[in-house]
Amino acid sequence: MKLTKTNRRTAVGGIAATILALASGGVMAQADKPLRIGFSMARTGMLANATPSQLNTYELWREQTNAKGGMNVGGTKRKVEFVTYDDQSKPDQAVRIYEKLITDDKVDLLLAPWGTPFHLAIAPVLEKFKFPMVGNTAASVALRKVKPGYIWFPTSAIPDRIGLELATMLKGQNVKSVAVLSNVLPFTKEIKNFLEPELKKAGIEVKVSAEYPPDIADMTSTLTQVKQANVDAVLALAYPGDSVLYAKQAKELGLNNPFQFIAIGPSDAFFAKAVGPASAEGVLTIAHWSPKAEWKGSQAFYDAYVKKFGEDPDYLNSALAWMSLEILETTVAKTGLDKAKMREMISTQTFDTINGKVKFDGVQNVITPTAFVQTQKGKLQIVWPASMATSKYEAKKGW
Amino acid sequence: MKDLCPNLWWALLWGCSLLTLAVLPFVANDYIVGIGLTLLMWLALTQSWCLLSKMTGYVSLGHVVFYGIGAYLVVVTWQEIALPLAILGAGLLAALVAALVGLPVLRVRGPYFVILTFGLAELVKYTITWIESALGMASRILFGAPDLPVIYFSMFALALVSVAMLTWVGSSRFGHGLRSLRENEEAAETLGVPVARYKLIAFVLGAAIPGMVGAVMALRSTYFVVGQVFDPMISVTVIAMAILGGGDNARGPLLGVIFLSLLSEMLWVNAPLLYLVILGAILMVFVLVVPNGLLGLFERKRAPAGARPPADTAA
Amino acid sequence: MAVLDILLSGQLLFAALVTGSLYALIALGLNLVYGTMRMLNVAHGDVVMLGAYGAYWGFTLMDIPPLLAAPVVAGLGGLLGWALYRGIFQRLLSGGDGTSAARLESNSLLLFFGLSIILQNATALVFTPNNRAYNYLGTVYHLGGVAMTGNRLAALLVAGTACIAVALFLSRSVFGLATRAVIERREAAHIVGVDVDHVQRLSFILGFGSAALAGVLISMLGQFSPFSGFPFTIAGFIVIILGGLGNAMAGLLAALLLGVIETYGVALTSANMRSVLLYGAFVAALLLFPNGLFARRATTR
Repeated sequence: MKLTKTNRRTAVGGIAATILALASGGVMAQADKPLRIGFSMARTGMLANATPSQLNTYELWREQTNAKGGMNVGGTKRKVEFVTYDDQSKPDQAVRIYEKLITDDKVDLLLAPWGTPFHLAIAPVLEKFKFPMVGNTAASVALRKVKPGYIWFPTSAIPDRIGLELATMLKGQNVKSVAVLSNVLPFTKEIKNFLEPELKKAGIEVKVSAEYPPDIADMTSTLTQVKQANVDAVLALAYPGDSVLYAKQAKELGLNNPFQFIAIGPSDAFFAKAVGPASAEGVLTIAHWSPKAEWKGSQAFYDAYVKKFGEDPDYLNSALAWMSLEILETTVAKTGLDKAKMREMISTQTFDTINGKVKFDGVQNVITPTAFVQTQKGKLQIVWPASMATSKYEAKKGW
Repeated sequence: MKDLCPNLWWALLWGCSLLTLAVLPFVANDYIVGIGLTLLMWLALTQSWCLLSKMTGYVSLGHVVFYGIGAYLVVVTWQEIALPLAILGAGLLAALVAALVGLPVLRVRGPYFVILTFGLAELVKYTITWIESALGMASRILFGAPDLPVIYFSMFALALVSVAMLTWVGSSRFGHGLRSLRENEEAAETLGVPVARYKLIAFVLGAAIPGMVGAVMALRSTYFVVGQVFDPMISVTVIAMAILGGGDNARGPLLGVIFLSLLSEMLWVNAPLLYLVILGAILMVFVLVVPNGLLGLFERKRAPAGARPPADTAA
Repeated sequence: MAVLDILLSGQLLFAALVTGSLYALIALGLNLVYGTMRMLNVAHGDVVMLGAYGAYWGFTLMDIPPLLAAPVVAGLGGLLGWALYRGIFQRLLSGGDGTSAARLESNSLLLFFGLSIILQNATALVFTPNNRAYNYLGTVYHLGGVAMTGNRLAALLVAGTACIAVALFLSRSVFGLATRAVIERREAAHIVGVDVDHVQRLSFILGFGSAALAGVLISMLGQFSPFSGFPFTIAGFIVIILGGLGNAMAGLLAALLLGVIETYGVALTSANMRSVLLYGAFVAALLLFPNGLFARRATTR
């Protein structure tokens, strides 16, 4: 059901826009008008502590871009201005914000919010207004069901592939038995759903399979069970919030299994600070980036981030955010702000990013392999797959 | 009797609000319509909350439980049964749950009741989380949900029903019975008011609307995660709007909803980080300085000097 | 793990005690404020959060061990309580004429809720919403087959001592007697010469101070952010309702009970059932005992 605005409304809007334009210093040439890029980010609420890694990356990019004279829009450079709101960690707020950005603020481009639920929630909005946006920090098999054409996901950390790859890696390490603990939130729960069948196929015994709620405050009961099971590997499918709790309590109970995997958390500098470098050492986590010589710009990104923020970027979220910006940059430089052309290009082109080449088939990135990184001597190294590895996997020596 | 003037003002206010809301989807962009939708949602939720809590004095901190149950029903029966049926079913299910737990729950009084209702909402939330987990689900996406205008007018209808219900109850014998038990439950009982039955009816009636509201809003966000839908903040916001509005009839909530919705829209857009701090301050100021709510302010202004205070501000 | 193993596990007992003692400390403060003023302090958990931040900054910026900083942070919490009492609540309570108890309750709910929002978001503004955590007393000690991380043991000891101290104070000292009198029957206490205002003020100070202390202890154990206060408020409420509002001693028992349910209940079923068990037990208990598990006579006002 399409509803059209009345002419009066358009006239009022036009007058208002003209007044605004005049008020802001006269009619400006196209090149001088700042490029407005909109996005929502959780600054308050449950997820507020996870978003800084992404927001920082956006800020860094804006700073660097403006220092170069602005973003290249079809040949002309324009300074970048962000229009951003707090979605309060609520996906339906994000929906309203993106509606506002598109219909009310009328931004030129959109950047992604943080997290899978938010990407999924706004996908219909993008579809409705035919506004393309490159996603980043989202990973779910449900992504494949999203109608392709207006949103893309560069990450390779998709739960079904994670399940397969992790099982393969464990088999390669001669692991015979595992304990699987999972947070019931979407991403980790999905991983568990795919991981356990793959483990079975690989002939690995799942001695403990437990789930816990996101607000868990004490894991002693579950971890005592895990300790008694005496497995070769403990796979803690945890979110940043519980990753630290797990590490601390694993230390207390002496879970010295040589293979320790924590799904989300250790890729962020915060983890090592919270649990101490000794505990963080040797933990395996999900990420597919690392500053590598053959990945152009990766070291530069790392150095710039450390310089500006005084800590390491998040190897998963910050890298993905930067990648999405690179893709956007490359596209807009060629196509300008023509949405149809942008969509065409993003869907078909192969892009060079700080994580190597990226190409989309439908909504998914088909080039970057699903990978895992491990903290070695305080630095995150890619240890799987071998094709991309920067170091070999080493067993963990206690907490 | 109150003089005609204030009633005229109220008629104008109601009329203008309803008219504006009715034509909004035809004249405004999606973002503005979204604001209207949110306003209607809060109106429906707050009016239905007042039916129990303002009238009987049993302050429920668990109103979101009915909202969540309604949403869950729609999500679970998605594309299995006709949508209008699902929405009606959501209301019925919520009312059924209220009927089942109402009697024992309403035996509990005062602050115990407040925290009990909160605990009940959380219990349902975590039970459904466990169920979803056992089903292997972590979140659900609704593909193919209806467009914004359909959702908008459904909510409009719900808000109207909610207002009508509260208004009717307010002036009915049933409503008087509720008010009497609010003032003194034991006395009311000795006077012959069927206290337990009335409380239960109010509880059940007040549950049906939020069930349907939740169902409709599930279509709006199309992405369902148990924790987000059963958000305790919804219960708290409803209470805030009702108390800021004041009174125990349909008028107070209208004022409270409009005031808080518009306020948070203004603040949230311009001062995103500061907005909640300011909101908190306003809440505190209101409770301290305007204890009878906006309705109290309004009635005080309209009543001429020396007139007796309005009869229904005792909540 | 076999059921008997679970029930006899020393490790689980330790975990239950740690959790229970923290709940007890939080509930104590909540009960004092409610008992003397009949107001549900929804912002209690946020004061806990502030205490956590106090310890965090003390440790990371000035290298002050949290256990040393604890009395200072608790004192600051008490100061906050005092300031709030003088600034806002004293006036609210003295002007409470003709205000029905129900109205004061729902209004106070909103009042404290406003305070809660302010505390949470102001903290997020000033300190950023990032998760905070630090490593202190991380060595694990082994005693009789039970592994105890230093910080958890310390938390248990400090919380336990604080609770016992307050309990002794309430039952032995004259002032404690006066406080209990006010909790039980306010007007009567006033008539027999108790300085109700003084008692209320002290309750506020103690209540906020104990919350801040709990925050210091909690900061040693895991991550926190400006928004982690709310779960503690909830836990606190569950405990004091179960124990019976205003009944400080029963609150301590109920807190331990809750810790036990959490730990052993989870061990016997699964971690996923934790909140179902907790809230299920709570709802069931309240439906059976509408005035709390340890209610004596109904406290009317």
